[in-house]
Amino acid sequence: MGEDTDTRKINHSFLRDHSYVTEADIISTVEFNHTGELLATGDKGGRVVIFQREPESKNAAHSQGEYDVYSTFQSHEPEFDYLKSLEIEEKINKIKWLPQQNAAHSLLSTNDKTIKLWKITERDKRPEGYNLKDEEGKLKDLSTVTSLQVPVLKPMDLMVEVSPRRVFANGHTYHINSISVNSDCETYMSADDLRINLWHLAITDRSFNIVDIKPANMEDLTEVITASEFHPHHCNLFVYSSSKGSLRLCDMRAAALCDKHSKLFEEPEDPSNRSFFSEIISSVSDVKFSHSGRYMLTRDYLTVKVWDLNMEARPIETYQVHDYLRSKLCSLYENDCIFDKFECAWNGSDSVIMTGAYNNFFRMFDRNTKRDVTLEASRESSKPRAVLKPRRVCVGGKRRRDDISVDSLDFTKKILHTAWHPAENIIAIAATNNLYIFQDKVNSEMH
Amino acid sequence: MEFKLEAHRIVSISLGKIYNSRVQRGGIKLHKNLLVSLVLRSARQVYLSDPCPGLYLAGPAGSPAVPPPQPGEPAAGPPAGWGEPPPPAAGAAWPEIEPQPERPADPAAPRAGDAEPGAPMTGAGETVRGGEVEAAEAAWRRVEGPCEAAEGGAGGPAGGSDGFPEGLREARRHCGCPPGAADRPGPLGACPRVDCCCAPRPAEDEPPAPPAVGPRKRGAAGVGGGPAPGSSPLKKPRRNSEEQSGGAAEEEEEEMETGNVANLISIFGSSFSGLLRKSPGGGREEGEGEESGPEAAEPGQICCDKPVLRDINPWSTAIVAF
Repeated sequence: MGEDTDTRKINHSFLRDHSYVTEADIISTVEFNHTGELLATGDKGGRVVIFQREPESKNAAHSQGEYDVYSTFQSHEPEFDYLKSLEIEEKINKIKWLPQQNAAHSLLSTNDKTIKLWKITERDKRPEGYNLKDEEGKLKDLSTVTSLQVPVLKPMDLMVEVSPRRVFANGHTYHINSISVNSDCETYMSADDLRINLWHLAITDRSFNIVDIKPANMEDLTEVITASEFHPHHCNLFVYSSSKGSLRLCDMRAAALCDKHSKLFEEPEDPSNRSFFSEIISSVSDVKFSHSGRYMLTRDYLTVKVWDLNMEARPIETYQVHDYLRSKLCSLYENDCIFDKFECAWNGSDSVIMTGAYNNFFRMFDRNTKRDVTLEASRESSKPRAVLKPRRVCVGGKRRRDDISVDSLDFTKKILHTAWHPAENIIAIAATNNLYIFQDKVNSEMH
Repeated sequence: MEFKLEAHRIVSISLGKIYNSRVQRGGIKLHKNLLVSLVLRSARQVYLSDPCPGLYLAGPAGSPAVPPPQPGEPAAGPPAGWGEPPPPAAGAAWPEIEPQPERPADPAAPRAGDAEPGAPMTGAGETVRGGEVEAAEAAWRRVEGPCEAAEGGAGGPAGGSDGFPEGLREARRHCGCPPGAADRPGPLGACPRVDCCCAPRPAEDEPPAPPAVGPRKRGAAGVGGGPAPGSSPLKKPRRNSEEQSGGAAEEEEEEMETGNVANLISIFGSSFSGLLRKSPGGGREEGEGEESGPEAAEPGQICCDKPVLRDINPWSTAIVAF
């Protein structure tokens, strides 16, 4: 019947690419920290790799800081839930940085079931001159000790140490899809398909359930939670998106259980676009507050939409990411691509939004000029210092020389995860197992 | 017509996905399976509202006669069926249907036989629609029951293992109309029954209900919210089409499964007949029992305790059995 065709398809697609990609290396999340100095990536194998931006070198004029590997550690391991006979994937679903409060950096990483708080510290000095131990650490013969000395700190090669400080386990029955740190820097929330829990960063043995949309009878289930985020400034507000394409803004001051939304953002469906797959393509895969806190950005399968918190009836802006796929939904359903969850991102000034697409393309939309561009993240077109060339997908009709036709798009090369530096025009693009970091040094138009 | 084929194909693909999701690493993804079940529902809706219900993929020897075009409704068929969102009422409707009175197992013999040839796909339909389908099926069967008995069990199910052609033949005449009605001179054909599927009856007609099956009809009517639940789904593709179409779905899906999904049958074989001989009351309990069984047997499905999967568990019993 073909029960295995789906898995076989996935494996074959990599082989077809002539470069076999280990599934564990596929990047599953990308996140800049609050200053942009650090960039964390998580992959399907449960590892986290942190990149650090090198400080700008005064010597070379063009050498603005580049990102180098800072630390790598194994965050999650595959687990087996013996009670339910379920394997728990080690894939890192989300990473969120905590605001830095001291010399150490902290981040939260989560897989399907467990959230962990990691502390990243640097050690670049070590004490020397102990009285009781010698250089190798062996105890000295006390009779040889004639005088006392105070140990001094001597510089050493930088060592980055990562340690798990908290493990927030057993909070979720369903698969965790998002985490978000509150602006109060004390709490954070984690959302799975049906519930959202509020945790305190210091307390691991309990959490508060603040949203529960599980119906009494699971047969009545019609929608699930797909993403959630705290408001960047108001610690009582958060938003969560649903598979039906709606957003709910909740105020934690209203009630302990925020099942009743304060605001419901929903756009009526366009009946002319109806198809078998209307529900799937209207499911919101990502929601992000703007830095200002005034707007929200949502991504569904074919569009990105900007919503104004003050207007619930419809988004204020809608951008088509790859509308040429609308006629191909059936094939995309067959090969499971229609279930891909693309993320979206704001730039630092909330004037440009970015999201990924197929064929290693990603799109940027300038909200002010209404211009958009399609760029490609690939080895061939990304030599250092090269300027990315805008790409175009042609849908029949006149075709220019470098256009790609819709039918030759590679749907195995998808850019699901992107991140934008909080202040500068630096973007991080995860293309399967490769991370591309692009800096826009010259073009200041997109501010 | 293309809608129908497309819908059929999508249903097959969706079922395949649901099945495959059982073996995926990390457990069943609730979100993805919910979306697949929604697609399944949409495809089924379109399939049923297509104005060519007479798509007999392995039709009986003779004419693949399409039932005469039925005025009014069918024109609205695909667009309406196509254009309407999956009835949100469906979710609400389900609880209504659940507590419906037990259906007497009365014409159990012919009915069970009915079910069997169409087993797998009916099962599939049922897995999607759960109790709702059972409700509609109940109403539907009730309608055809007496008629069939009168017919001497046209397509009398001889154990159902005759396979699909018989099921088809039966399906075609599910309304119990005499075979002669095939030629149907006109919309009304020769079908004597008011609410027979051969005739484009307005849905408002209450089918004459033998008292013996009163409770079931009441239940179904309650579910359907009034108009003849047993009437052809084409009448009202929009309102409560789920409930009404459920019954026709059985027939339609019998045809569907004989086509491309026949390989499913060959895999699951006769195990299905047992699962799907869900004669009303007993069937439900049987279904529940089977669910708790597979739930224990299946690697912890708490994560996926949702409509499709809950109802697919009986189906999966067959899979597991193999």
